[in-house]
Amino acid sequence: MGFSINAGLLDAMVLSIVQNNDTYGYEITQYLRKAVDISESTLYPVLRRLQKGEMLETYDKEFMGRNRRYYRITTKGNDSLEEYREEWRSHKKKIDSILLNEGAEYNEQT
Amino acid sequence: MNKLEFLTRLRNNLERGGLPSDDINDALSYYEEVFLDAGFGKEEETAAAMGSPEDVAVNILRESGIHVGGAPVMPPQRMGGPQGQAQGHAMGGYVPPKKKASGGSIALGIVLGILTFPIWLPIVCVVVSLLFALIVVLISLVIAFFAAAIGLLIGGIVALTEFPAVGIMFLGAGLILTGLVILICKPAFSAVIPAIGRGIKSFCGWVVGLFKKGGKENA
Repeated sequence: MGFSINAGLLDAMVLSIVQNNDTYGYEITQYLRKAVDISESTLYPVLRRLQKGEMLETYDKEFMGRNRRYYRITTKGNDSLEEYREEWRSHKKKIDSILLNEGAEYNEQT
Repeated sequence: MNKLEFLTRLRNNLERGGLPSDDINDALSYYEEVFLDAGFGKEEETAAAMGSPEDVAVNILRESGIHVGGAPVMPPQRMGGPQGQAQGHAMGGYVPPKKKASGGSIALGIVLGILTFPIWLPIVCVVVSLLFALIVVLISLVIAFFAAAIGLLIGGIVALTEFPAVGIMFLGAGLILTGLVILICKPAFSAVIPAIGRGIKSFCGWVVGLFKKGGKENA
């Protein structure tokens, strides 16, 4: 399996995971691993970037005598995620039209 | 590699890369949390999955807009899966910025040395003059004592004929003073004056040295 995931897609996926419910770094990685081969060290810059772009905000929550950093999506993050989803839908449609021969009438023109 | 080693190497590399300390602490607390969440007995495994701390640091620095290039600080150990390898090739590691005087900075030092000439010249003059004044004061003190001693001796001899008692007292005081001057001034002369001389010499040497180094210290 060699489909690479670009930064934008990774951002969108992280936003989507956090949108479902507030969560922490390790759990986000475990979630993403269901779909892509990434490590915790790939995720950190993504979280950092989203935080700086004010798409995510953090808060600390006590867990077994230590603080765990939780991530929460912001309104800006929500808006951005909707854009990503829209973009993904159209992107997916185009890829499918070629790869799966779906929507042949659309394909003929290109 | 255990958690402590991973985090220490990560910190060292981030510090060398010049990342602000807030960002360093943020990154370290994230990675520490990853280790804790992964479980106590899984430190080696977790560290291996994340790749070498050098590569991780390069990643973080790059994301913070810090340019990285060249060889990593430590030879990277490719322990991560396909992820680690792909990153390793793309990143190429990084070298801490080295402080090295280029030709430009030496020229700048000379220019600054010339431009600040009105500032440092008076300072040099004042220091040399003060040291010189110190020598003069010491010499004149000695001369004054000698003069007083000789004066007392001559006065004593002259007074001896008219007032023998006074003359003897003068002579005694003169001899005591002469003795004191010789006793005190001899070591003083042999130690203090060459020391001051050396002081002036080394100060001049230091000033000359400044120029030989291209006026770097002035810069």
